[in-house]
Amino acid sequence: MNKRDFVAIGAVILLSVIGFLTFTLNQKGGDFVKITVDKKTYGTYPLSKNDEINIKNDSGFNTVVIENGEVYIKDADCRDKYCVNQGKIKSGSIVCLPHKLVVEVVSDNDSIDAVVK
Amino acid sequence: MKKIIPLVLIIIILSGCAAVSGTYSDSFFAMDTYMTVTVNGKNAEKAVKDAEAEIKKLDKKLSAHSGSSEIYRLNKNGSAKLSRESSELIKQALKFNRLTDGAFNPAMLGVSELWGFSDKKYKVPSDKELAEALKKVKPEIITVKNNTVNLNVKGMKIDLGGIAKGYTSEKIVKLLKKQGIDSALLNLGGNVQALGSKPDGSGWNIAIENPNKKSYLGQLAVKDKAVVTSGGYERYFKKNGKIYYHILNSKTGKPAESGLKSVTVISGSGTLADALSTSLFVMGEDKAVKFWAKSDMNFDIILYTTDGDLKISEGLADKFKSDINYSVIKRPDYE
Repeated sequence: MNKRDFVAIGAVILLSVIGFLTFTLNQKGGDFVKITVDKKTYGTYPLSKNDEINIKNDSGFNTVVIENGEVYIKDADCRDKYCVNQGKIKSGSIVCLPHKLVVEVVSDNDSIDAVVK
Repeated sequence: MKKIIPLVLIIIILSGCAAVSGTYSDSFFAMDTYMTVTVNGKNAEKAVKDAEAEIKKLDKKLSAHSGSSEIYRLNKNGSAKLSRESSELIKQALKFNRLTDGAFNPAMLGVSELWGFSDKKYKVPSDKELAEALKKVKPEIITVKNNTVNLNVKGMKIDLGGIAKGYTSEKIVKLLKKQGIDSALLNLGGNVQALGSKPDGSGWNIAIENPNKKSYLGQLAVKDKAVVTSGGYERYFKKNGKIYYHILNSKTGKPAESGLKSVTVISGSGTLADALSTSLFVMGEDKAVKFWAKSDMNFDIILYTTDGDLKISEGLADKFKSDINYSVIKRPDYE
């Protein structure tokens, strides 16, 4: 092997390491809340920061509140109110079927593939 | 040029692209819930799309609430010629009704409607109204012959909601197997069924929701198993300070208050897991444990009581992990 081979191999390894670090570092940053409406992402919010998100569309409204590391649906004009009844969660998801709204807690070190309920 | 080829190979190996290419996952709304289907392997995307289409097809047949469904037509006319799937599932539902001595009851729609669980206009019916409605609940006299179902009681209405998702997941697993898929996870609104294991050979990690929503009751790794939980805590309404859960006791017509907060059943059959989780929830702890101990069907159970006791059956002892103290139920203690 000559000098140029070493440079090429070194470059490949360096690129891989950079790629790996970028990937893993992007995964960090704590749990966050992902809101989707009819399968389209509405927004993502850190679970660690208190926030109130008002989602309004043709089917109605849902008020999502992030408070002290928990998320819940404070109010909604859906007919069954199951989403409001779900209460505060730290993991898993809240679904409002009539409004096709999903509020999901996404954890970066989550080894769980599914939650039964 | 010679030097370029090994270089390209090294890049491909180090970047690890090959390992992730075979997983496809999609979520959608069906059967009055939110579902996620994940498939690993070749043609994973097509398999997920096919599964979604099949689930929606079954939903159209089996829903008791959609005006165009077979079950709706049967309830309206008292008898009907149905598809093979619908009549097969009714037979299964009637079998579990017999096996559980009525704890599982697919003929309670009329009573459930009195509570407003169907149209979400909740109210508390009088004892007289309940007694009248219960007179029409006679699943034992329903007949199924050559896919023709006859309810034989005027006004009796069936609802397969307590078994349809488990039946569907079992059916989709068969469909995926036919397509050569050997690794998939179906999450039909909290009814979970795993096909095979994860691509690395380990089991799928399934967490059991704690009704308090702050943590999990525990988790277990499964391969080729369905995991289904029943608990009133997901769907209920409040009136005058009292909570009314949607799972009804077919003897009283009222929400089952059996001392259990949630029941999880683990079995190779999704249909069995779905039907029995509801049944055992209605039975309460003592009867549920005896039913499990004496049954020749192959399943495991996780019971969580309103007092906060967590109990698992012996088959799960080496698979279950929890931060909560739990005890193991052993079969010989009940024989």
